[in-house]
Amino acid sequence: MSQTITIDPVTRLEGHGKITLHLNDAGSVENAEFTVTQVRGFEKFSEGRPFYEMPSLMARVCGICPVSHLLASAKAGEAIMAVRIPYTATQLRSISNLAQMVQSHALSFFYLSSPDLLLGMDSDPVTRNIFGVVGANPEIGKAGIGLRRFGQTVIEILGTKRIHTGWIVGGGVTDPLTLDKREKMLAMLPEAYANIKLALKWYKSILPSFKREVATFASEPSAFLGMVGKDGKFELSDGTLSLIDPKGAPIATGITAADFDDVFGEAVEPYSFTKFAYFKALGYPDGSYRVGPLARLNIAKTMGTPLADAELDEFRQLESGPVQGSFHFHQARLVEILYGIEKIEELLGDAEILSPHVRATAGVNCLEGAGISEAPRGTLMHHYKVDDNGLMTWSNMVIATGQNNHAMNRGILQVAKEFVRGNELEQGMLNRVEAVIRTFDPCLSCSTHAYGKMPLAIELRGPGNELLSKIRR
Amino acid sequence: MREKTPEPRCLILACGNPLRGDDGAAWRLAELAQPQLPSSVRVILQQQWTPELAEDIARADAALFVDCSLAAQPGSVTLESVTAATAFPSFLSHHVDAASLLRLSESLYGLVPATANLLLIGAFSLEHTEELSPAVKAAMPKALELLLGWARNQTEDRPI
Repeated sequence: MSQTITIDPVTRLEGHGKITLHLNDAGSVENAEFTVTQVRGFEKFSEGRPFYEMPSLMARVCGICPVSHLLASAKAGEAIMAVRIPYTATQLRSISNLAQMVQSHALSFFYLSSPDLLLGMDSDPVTRNIFGVVGANPEIGKAGIGLRRFGQTVIEILGTKRIHTGWIVGGGVTDPLTLDKREKMLAMLPEAYANIKLALKWYKSILPSFKREVATFASEPSAFLGMVGKDGKFELSDGTLSLIDPKGAPIATGITAADFDDVFGEAVEPYSFTKFAYFKALGYPDGSYRVGPLARLNIAKTMGTPLADAELDEFRQLESGPVQGSFHFHQARLVEILYGIEKIEELLGDAEILSPHVRATAGVNCLEGAGISEAPRGTLMHHYKVDDNGLMTWSNMVIATGQNNHAMNRGILQVAKEFVRGNELEQGMLNRVEAVIRTFDPCLSCSTHAYGKMPLAIELRGPGNELLSKIRR
Repeated sequence: MREKTPEPRCLILACGNPLRGDDGAAWRLAELAQPQLPSSVRVILQQQWTPELAEDIARADAALFVDCSLAAQPGSVTLESVTAATAFPSFLSHHVDAASLLRLSESLYGLVPATANLLLIGAFSLEHTEELSPAVKAAMPKALELLLGWARNQTEDRPI
């Protein structure tokens, strides 16, 4: 007798989603669906707006990673303007994107996932939050809050606001960096280094206690997509995309924003409002791939900064070939935080970082443009079309969650097969099915990520949709 | 231990969304007050209070939290002392209240301001508008007087 289990809503994510597990006649999990239940409509309501308004408008997609949207949108605008932005503007925008990477990863790791890691996946949901982390391990709590504060403060120093700054625009940035602002950022670096070193040491010490989760959390081999810079170096803001196969061999390299729509497609499944991105040459779902910290570390030849390179060497020892276990997204995030801090320091020391030349200006020179950046959760692409007056006629965004969608669904199925046993619905199963999603840190959209007391229910239903069993917290 | 400074470090934390009617009352009040405040008073305007503020709070000698509340009588203004919560909240959304922030400062940095107060303005409506409701608008002079009086007390009466 086939049955269905629904987890609705899934907590500690950016936005709302639900999970449905389908059981076969033998009571084993046969299929899993991760459903994103929201519609945002940004692509539609941006129609008719001037293209130069798009960065600030599209940044409102998210309060956690607005800099990535600003960047991808500004680059799409620059393609429409057909301009090359000043060198210093590129470097300054990179600092802002790196700072966002640090603060967003700190939120994901310390606020959303570390409660599971520190307190245990079966611990009381009432204490499984950042306050529980502070209570159980104040130094880790302090490090997490400190890193988030560091990233937010750098964004604020550069752009006067920590969320939804209007500083990044098509053509560059609105204001150059001043000496006193640079000194303020440099002064924060020692504490940031100390915090991430503490976190990495702690994480590596607890990793051995999660062997079962490492083995079953979305660990099926997949392709990976991410940005790289010159010589295959790790890059987040200004590079091209590379796609590697599950064994690490290149499938496609040098993919630019302008190529994106030719190379990648988006499939639609009837159960979710989020699309499923795939590599067109392999079709859907065979062309599905993963993006984000795990993908980026698997693709980059080197990080390009000394401490992060040492961590990358260690990270690569986790598995033979590309690291497939999605549980290792956590460690990849910490390595990227370390890289972000090192790279910010390097960029602040750039001889031209205080240059006043930070913005190129132009009108409409092309009627279509696309831009890419690496958001904390993975590759982000904005694609715009305008009329002769520069008014938007069409837009499309491809976000990380859509690109990880297939892997997340497969991951839920994998973890459910391991932890769900027929009619026995247990809190521990629920926690792990949620936790596998959390490793991807999906951004379903900006919404509350209240946790602990958020209503959460799993329903077990029979073939006639009759309720067989239900647990709630 | 907090280092001694010639002037007390006063912190005003105003919370709210100016695009949501009376929810922006604290924000607008802090903006009104800012030009009249001594230089030793730092003002932080945020749409929500978050855990990252704990360090700023720990460093302050005196902290004033300014917020609005739908639970209070619309247009009412109260100034009360606030102390660190005895326990952390059992969940976290985007927002942390004043007592929990004090608790966090204490737990992470071992410090809380010697004086901590909450200035609460009773809200009438949090609908989408940049205008305050008539009741809250009428309460702003009293709220401003209380806020400036608090700042004066902290900066003038402190024994050196």
